[in-house]
Amino acid sequence: MIRQLDLILLIFIVICAIAAINIKDLMSAVIILGAYGFFMCLLWTEMGAVDVAFTEASVGAGIGTVLFIAAINKTSRRSKD
Amino acid sequence: MLEYILAKYNYWIYVVLMMIGLYAMMGKRNLVKKLIGMNIFQTSIILFFVSMGVKKGGATVPILMGDSHGHGEQLIQVADYLNPLPHVLMLTAIVVSIATTGVALATLILIYKRYHTLEEDEILAIRKEASAYKTLGT
Amino acid sequence: MKNWFKWISLIAVIMTGALLIYGTHDMPAWGDPNSPANSHVSPRYILEATKLTATPNIVSAVLADYRSYDTLGESAVIFTASISCLFLLRRIRKEKTSEDK
Repeated sequence: MIRQLDLILLIFIVICAIAAINIKDLMSAVIILGAYGFFMCLLWTEMGAVDVAFTEASVGAGIGTVLFIAAINKTSRRSKD
Repeated sequence: MLEYILAKYNYWIYVVLMMIGLYAMMGKRNLVKKLIGMNIFQTSIILFFVSMGVKKGGATVPILMGDSHGHGEQLIQVADYLNPLPHVLMLTAIVVSIATTGVALATLILIYKRYHTLEEDEILAIRKEASAYKTLGT
Repeated sequence: MKNWFKWISLIAVIMTGALLIYGTHDMPAWGDPNSPANSHVSPRYILEATKLTATPNIVSAVLADYRSYDTLGESAVIFTASISCLFLLRRIRKEKTSEDK
């Protein structure tokens, strides 16, 4: 448990979350959501939850991003807000 | 006061993450944006639960060292290992959240095939127009 | 019409967040080893899991042995989700082929 590393990772996570919901291009938003998932996985490794961290890295950040990209390829990429 | 902030600021950041997700689910009009907000919401709740199992003061990952058959003579102290119970429950929650996202994306593809847009207000306008046309026709 | 909805949702979100931050006043301090979540069920797992299941990883011992019915339910959820995805996306393909013919 390193408090400074914890705080830096939490700030990165909040920045990624705000960017993911504010970007108009949906593909960029989904890629930033994947980056958010990997920062979350780093934070969990730092908290000692190793099993949760690699489940999140493979399932949440990997398969989730792939599903989102497949759905956006089948639909439209533009967004009004 | 500083001690109080240091003890509680983690919870406040989780609440901020939850607020971002909830705002994206309520205020944004694009359906993919709503899904992204739902993912952020779920991940913040999972982060809160995982952080409940943290023990300060030299606790390590809940994997026991030494003899794997449990016949070792080493003494296990509870304070030396993190709480494994939230990790187990949240392992289940992550997999369930990705299943939810998959079903939601399949529904999204169906909505796009039918209305050719993903904006909520345009879909509502098309539906209103169609229902008005139907009542006019009958 | 578009903007007032966003403002109302922003106000609702801020009120929810203020309520939750007020609720953290009663939470135990972050990382407290003696908090209620750390002192009720999990000491039994930490002390006895390796002896009873011969698995050094406590998380997988609890996931697949103590709470295996929970994992069974989780796999039922994944099965339901995959089957519903299959049915939802199969309808599209049939419509497209009927349009082609």
